[in-house]
Amino acid sequence: MRHRISFAVVMFAACSAAAEAQPDLEGFWTPRIERARSGQALIDELPDGVVLINDTGAGELAAGDFAGLKLTPAAIEEVRRYDFGEELKRENTCNAPTSAFLMQAPFPMEVYASDELIVFKMEYFDLVRVVFLDGRPHPPDTAPHSKVGHSVGHWEGDALVVDTTHLTSGTFMNNGFNHSESLHMTERFRLSPDGSVLWLVQTYEDAAVFDGVAARYMAWTRRPGEYVYPYDCDPSYGE
Amino acid sequence: MMFASARLVSLTALVMAASVAPRLSAHHSFAVHFVADRLITVQGTVEEFTFRNPHGVLVLDVKGEDGAVQQWKIETNSPNILRRRGWTETSIKSGDIVTVEGYPARDGSNFMRVYRVTYPDGRELVGQRPDPNVVSGDD
Repeated sequence: MRHRISFAVVMFAACSAAAEAQPDLEGFWTPRIERARSGQALIDELPDGVVLINDTGAGELAAGDFAGLKLTPAAIEEVRRYDFGEELKRENTCNAPTSAFLMQAPFPMEVYASDELIVFKMEYFDLVRVVFLDGRPHPPDTAPHSKVGHSVGHWEGDALVVDTTHLTSGTFMNNGFNHSESLHMTERFRLSPDGSVLWLVQTYEDAAVFDGVAARYMAWTRRPGEYVYPYDCDPSYGE
Repeated sequence: MMFASARLVSLTALVMAASVAPRLSAHHSFAVHFVADRLITVQGTVEEFTFRNPHGVLVLDVKGEDGAVQQWKIETNSPNILRRRGWTETSIKSGDIVTVEGYPARDGSNFMRVYRVTYPDGRELVGQRPDPNVVSGDD
């Protein structure tokens, strides 16, 4: 009996140590707008040929600027027929983006973490992302898609790696160019050595609308004691 | 026969895709609708101010040189962002006389995104700053 208790204590201590070894992502994070990227090292790790989309934060790409990505003929046609005037209408005012354009928006987030889950409570459009760390697979392709999709993750050293599928089609650059329901997004989150900055590089593959691989870089500053406000989008802004 | 059916299905799908309106998948873009590198200034009397996401809206009556009043719709960036800078629902009231600097609509209409609202006594409310690259906070 004593051996059994000792074994349990040792296992608990080992698990706790493992958990403690993982970076603490919990807290309130507000976007950083940086002249020079403090997390450049994550970008340097990207393979050659990845197209970096430089539109993080308040900056957005203008109509016709797709960051150098090669769009498929179907995507080019959809962009050509996109009506920006429709965006200002009441019925489209509260059309939230998917996780593929959510994280780069200039709004803060709260992060909650356990051994089995990471939760991102986003201020933008009140969206909540859940990342499963328990080893489950993605559901079948035929499962319903959503704004936040289905995310599974794991730790690779000090980096949290998240894999997301099952997103509905949504804006990719907020300039008439949409990603498809087949978009596959991979994210690498990493903390700065002092824990005050959170970096993220997202990579995207979506052969239905563009060739190759695209990426975005984001960074947040930790602000203890602050919290996410409700967004409560009001469609009456629209005409 | 099987190939003919498959081709028919593919052709039908292609025709359907071409005839369906493009997906509206975004809240409106700042870069697409406003000129980011030019500021204009208008002065007038506040008709109405609402402060709800995704954008606050200031309706301003602006008197032209000919005395005619033109109404401007002036949107703010997200009220959530502005609350953290001290804006509230009552920061601007109907009847207030204000000067507004902002980014003009690309279509030339009386529509703009606010950079700064200034009162006659010099008080200022700052919205979307002109150059995000030189701003260290959230915008």
